[in-house]
Amino acid sequence: MTDVAQTTAQAPGDLDERSPWRLSLSVGFLALPMLAFLSIFFFYPAANLLFYSFLSQDAKGIIGRPFTLSHYVHIAEVDLYLKVFWNTLQIAFITSIAAIVMAYPVAITMVKSKPIVNRVISLIVIAPLIVSVVVRAYGWQLILVNTPTGLLNWLLLTLRIINEPLELLYTKTAVVIGSLHVFFPMMVLPLASALGKIDPNLEDAARMLGAPWWKVFARVTLPLSIPGLVAGFTLVFSLTAGSFVIPVLLGGTSSTMLGNLIEQQIFVVYDWPFGATIAVVLVIVVFAINALSMRILEGRRFRRIAS
Amino acid sequence: MSGRLEGVGAWVLYCVTAAMMIFILAPLLVVMSVSVSDSYFVTFPPQGFTLSWYAKVLQDRDFLDALQLSAVLAFSTTMGSLLLGVPAAFALVRGSFLGQSFLKSLVLSPLVFPALVTGLALLQLLSSFGSGDARVNLLIGHIVVTAPYVVRTVVSSLQLMDINLEEAARTLGASRMKTFWRVTLPQIAPGVAAGSLFAFMVSFDNYPISMWLANSEYSPVPLVLMRQLVNVFDPSVPAMSTIIILLAVVGVLILERLVGLRRAVAI
Repeated sequence: MTDVAQTTAQAPGDLDERSPWRLSLSVGFLALPMLAFLSIFFFYPAANLLFYSFLSQDAKGIIGRPFTLSHYVHIAEVDLYLKVFWNTLQIAFITSIAAIVMAYPVAITMVKSKPIVNRVISLIVIAPLIVSVVVRAYGWQLILVNTPTGLLNWLLLTLRIINEPLELLYTKTAVVIGSLHVFFPMMVLPLASALGKIDPNLEDAARMLGAPWWKVFARVTLPLSIPGLVAGFTLVFSLTAGSFVIPVLLGGTSSTMLGNLIEQQIFVVYDWPFGATIAVVLVIVVFAINALSMRILEGRRFRRIAS
Repeated sequence: MSGRLEGVGAWVLYCVTAAMMIFILAPLLVVMSVSVSDSYFVTFPPQGFTLSWYAKVLQDRDFLDALQLSAVLAFSTTMGSLLLGVPAAFALVRGSFLGQSFLKSLVLSPLVFPALVTGLALLQLLSSFGSGDARVNLLIGHIVVTAPYVVRTVVSSLQLMDINLEEAARTLGASRMKTFWRVTLPQIAPGVAAGSLFAFMVSFDNYPISMWLANSEYSPVPLVLMRQLVNVFDPSVPAMSTIIILLAVVGVLILERLVGLRRAVAI
């Protein structure tokens, strides 16, 4: 239907005797190498990992049948694993909310300032994205160290705001700060592009009709920027939930996340089926957040058409 | 949005934005400042000034080997991603067939999958194959996560390009190959360049894939740095980190010059 309409519209430049339809189909074969590559090295191993999570491992470490759900039950029953699961959700959620709160002012400033200011802010926001997460987490270690030689403690002690050094590093807060730093661009960029698409006349109209700035934001800017907000939230949440380096360098034993648990199971305990099970749980969390945001966006589109 | 910001709201916005810029830059600046500290331990504030830690790092065999491995790996990853990604992008934009949008979500799906799990799944597959060469394994793993970036940037530049130019070239008698090389490619070059550079940097910085596939003989830079972080407490670690930051700055400047950053990141 629409596909057919697109076929004729999208295949100009084809002056052969071959029909446009045949050309566009043969162009489709160009995707085959990548599809084959991903099938072997991504889809198949991912499916295999899911399969592994249902296998059992005997005392000799041999993995095989019988199929079992015991690993999933194990996660749900053992307090330690449950705690790691909730920790992961909590850290990812708090980081995403903090990112939303901090990203709005930055994104609005980007969109409303002169091009040169916009460019400088973009550069500062994006550039750290290209610095390894290990380096960035290390930087936060140096800032948050619990002795007077950490930047923050040194600053607060020198200014005599505190008398004793604070316990900052190896806490959940440190993990949230590090994650916010590493994934902040993923919130600002979608938000800035959503804000850039808002017709400025709408805000001007609201302002001229006497709405104060916060009301303009709450009733015009915020609702119209929801697509960017949801996209950013999904990215930040998914990436934070899947972190490994940040909780290792900044978190303590109380802020272990699913990623750390997987690594332990594989490299320390050598329990592949259980490691695979935790990996599947992590994937389910990420997929659930993606599905939820897709629903929110589609619901909005539907409502707009309906009204 | 056109109107300049005014009033109290504007000041609040500017202050928060400035604070966030400091927040973003602070950890990097701290790392750079302690890398020249003339002390045996990393402390803040840095003491004195010395470049001796850089001299030490630049003689460190492990670090230099890692740097070389990462550079070669990132380059090969980029080539592999282009080889797979550019044709796939053509198929997605120029083709028209049943299940095209499904194909697009398949091809881009490694971007939404937790990279940590991608790496683990691949480790399982490759160890069951008995593929022992860590360099090959790393290359495969990195291509899985970078090729989708290339697809994304090339798709968006193919969508932006004016298809009438191709039609004109064909009408004037250029062959299909010639049209591709002389008309299509120059027009999508910025997208291809952006995708390649981004793929290079993603590979160079990758941790969650490499942590599964590297071994003690072949470890890329982020892994070597992580190992040093846990074992070494002198300012050679910040010096190493500063070198990585400076390499990234060079990469960013090239990207900004060549194609514009926003386009390259394509978020």
